[in-house]
Amino acid sequence: MLSRIADSLFWLHRYMERADGMLRLLKTSYILSFDKVQASGISWGPALQIFTALSKEEIEALKTNDAAVLQYMITDTRNLNSLRVIVTRARENARGVQDQITKEVWEQVNHLYHMVTHPALTEKLAGPDAIVAIDALITSSDQFCGITDSTMPRGQGWNYMNLGKFTERCLLTVEFTNIFFRKVNYDFTDEQDILFWRSLLLALSGYELHLKNYSNQNHNCNVAQQVLFDKNFPRSLYYALDRANKYLCDVSEMNPVEGTPPLCRMFGRLHSYVKFSDLAIVAETGMEPFLKEIRHELNEFSRLLGQTYFSYA
Amino acid sequence: MTGETLFQHYPAMPMIWDEMKDADRIREPYHSIYEAIRKLNLPDLQQKDKLASELFMSQGITFTVYSDNEGIERIFPFDIIPRIITSTEWGHIEAGIKQRLRALNLFLKDIYHEQQIIHDEVIPAALIASCPHFTREVFGIKVPNDIYVHIAGIDLIRGDDGTFYILEDNLRTPSGVSYMLENREVTKRIFPDLLANSNVRMINNYPLILHDNLVALSQRQTENPVVVLLTPGVFNSAYFEHTFLARQMGIQLVEGRDLVVDHQKVYMKTTAGLRQVDVIYRRVDDEFLDPLVFRPDSALGVPGLMSAYRKGNVAIVNALGNGVADDKAVYAYVPAMIKYYLNEEPILQNVPTYQMKNVEEREYVFENMEKMVIKETNQSGGYGMVMGNSATKEELQKSKECILANPRNFIAQPIIKLSTVPCLLDGKLQPRHVDLRPYALCGPNGIDIVPGGLTRVALREGSLVVNSSQGGGSKDTWVIDLRET
Repeated sequence: MLSRIADSLFWLHRYMERADGMLRLLKTSYILSFDKVQASGISWGPALQIFTALSKEEIEALKTNDAAVLQYMITDTRNLNSLRVIVTRARENARGVQDQITKEVWEQVNHLYHMVTHPALTEKLAGPDAIVAIDALITSSDQFCGITDSTMPRGQGWNYMNLGKFTERCLLTVEFTNIFFRKVNYDFTDEQDILFWRSLLLALSGYELHLKNYSNQNHNCNVAQQVLFDKNFPRSLYYALDRANKYLCDVSEMNPVEGTPPLCRMFGRLHSYVKFSDLAIVAETGMEPFLKEIRHELNEFSRLLGQTYFSYA
Repeated sequence: MTGETLFQHYPAMPMIWDEMKDADRIREPYHSIYEAIRKLNLPDLQQKDKLASELFMSQGITFTVYSDNEGIERIFPFDIIPRIITSTEWGHIEAGIKQRLRALNLFLKDIYHEQQIIHDEVIPAALIASCPHFTREVFGIKVPNDIYVHIAGIDLIRGDDGTFYILEDNLRTPSGVSYMLENREVTKRIFPDLLANSNVRMINNYPLILHDNLVALSQRQTENPVVVLLTPGVFNSAYFEHTFLARQMGIQLVEGRDLVVDHQKVYMKTTAGLRQVDVIYRRVDDEFLDPLVFRPDSALGVPGLMSAYRKGNVAIVNALGNGVADDKAVYAYVPAMIKYYLNEEPILQNVPTYQMKNVEEREYVFENMEKMVIKETNQSGGYGMVMGNSATKEELQKSKECILANPRNFIAQPIIKLSTVPCLLDGKLQPRHVDLRPYALCGPNGIDIVPGGLTRVALREGSLVVNSSQGGGSKDTWVIDLRET
């Protein structure tokens, strides 16, 4: 596979996964914004902190205006991480590899792009139909996942796509978890109201699973266990790392170049660190440094992966 | 408005060959279309038109117009009413194009080797020497099977008596074939019954023939030769076509930066290291292909590519240097080439062409400027063209001055009123001028031309310029076998 193609497939899925994560968080935050009595004071804060480069003051000024937040996060091109910018980048990557992805996948990315760039979307987001518009975008993103899964051949391209997807998913889970736990001073012995955690769990599509799995009141502890270590939860850190590990193994087998062994060792250390950790170790290390280190290692991995397989320019 | 009334309001154009209507009569090839549309209402047709646009949009068959840093996606205009050519007419066109391409291939081989045609004074040496696309760098290079033009797009027009003429040969990197193929796919969706009942010849084997021809060019003894399509990249206006063809043929789409030359062999940079490339179907112009030989500032090419080509380690399609054969001044000599190389009479005629270098012809053209179209010999895409009947006095004067300053760079042709076909525009059927570009593929087993081609249509009323860069659109083109009556 051409290095350039591998690079584009990796980033196509990173961007699509980011768009997906962002849309879920936006929907949760939007619905939450109707409840004016909020003990937690969550609302738009997390979404703005994670996905924009705004200062604290700017976030404070913006976060009371739902329509303005949605505009800024979804359609505003001045925001370099707005949905529109992310989807445009995903499409540019898809365009450059059109012959390597299936026609169906291309058309779906193209469809989402036209949805996001449609002039009527801005108007919709400002009115009562905002939730309908966000739902439509989420459905389109879901369709992308389904179409990719059911039409893409399981070859090299598939491996790079999934590496991108799960790398991004790890990062998103780390970011989401960090923002919410910061609010409780990273203390998971405390028992925060489930309503507080519901936003995090809904944004990660894990609320129902949580209700099924946990019946006691140790919410902080349970949530941390679920988002970091639950091997059956598709957005947990462990699950996403484990999947990335699988695809990295496939990639390294097919492309035994010079940089492969150090790359695999580096990722192996990270994977094992999470795999053989538990909440006691997290408590000992401190949750904030733990998440910080994971984030640092993931970014380092992404850089090294690019250096090993994507250097073509 | 019913379909019937649409036809009743279709205007007759004096002195112009309308392909559907002869005085008050619908010509036989168009009967099936007439019958089908007659039963529809205007809103039905407009609905089909809308559906066609949506299909192009959703598939990303678009080009981007940039304004205020915002990219706006546009589709190339498509008219839903198909254009029809009968199998008899097609037989004539096919034979004519095949003959022409055999001669042009022989000419290219000759001009880059012995140059017998110049020694025999059939073509003046000065004409070739002054041609900007005569590429000295490829002189003496032997190409596989002596084929230079693997893919040709020959532009044809129909005069006021219905005769087909050759307007232009495109022998470098002719584009538009994806529109020919996609137009048919869209027609299948909007007029399924009509298409099925009209005995329309199939065109969708084009990518398969091209792929077989490309694979056959590999000089390496290997079971699976590596064939790639070299594109300038996503910002090229024909990028959709590049991805389309690569996908249809199952070959890699590469950019210049994906390739590297080592020891006169071309490799592509893959995640598993370098892999040798045998055949390059390039959609990058000659002058950008190798910065070491041609334009040093080109970032689209591959340094050292020419060395691999010269050595025969890689085949490049179309061959380099073909521009000398589709130069607009050399065009006038193609009938002479056919006689010289094949000892045959040309089946398809050229449009009469006046060389501005020739004083007598120039004087004649200057006296009849309003009946002439002036073309720059090294321009394409409808650029560098002055239509004598619509230009202002100042423009004509300026054109004369330019011609006098560099007569070799210009030719003139009498303005031919291109034939018209019906188009659905602004809720009416209106006649618009068209040309036809069939795509011919030359391989080791001969020349194949898929029956049809791209019909380009000048959508502005009265306009004779069909180029997409100048407000042109396209139509599906049907070659039909008329049933015996």
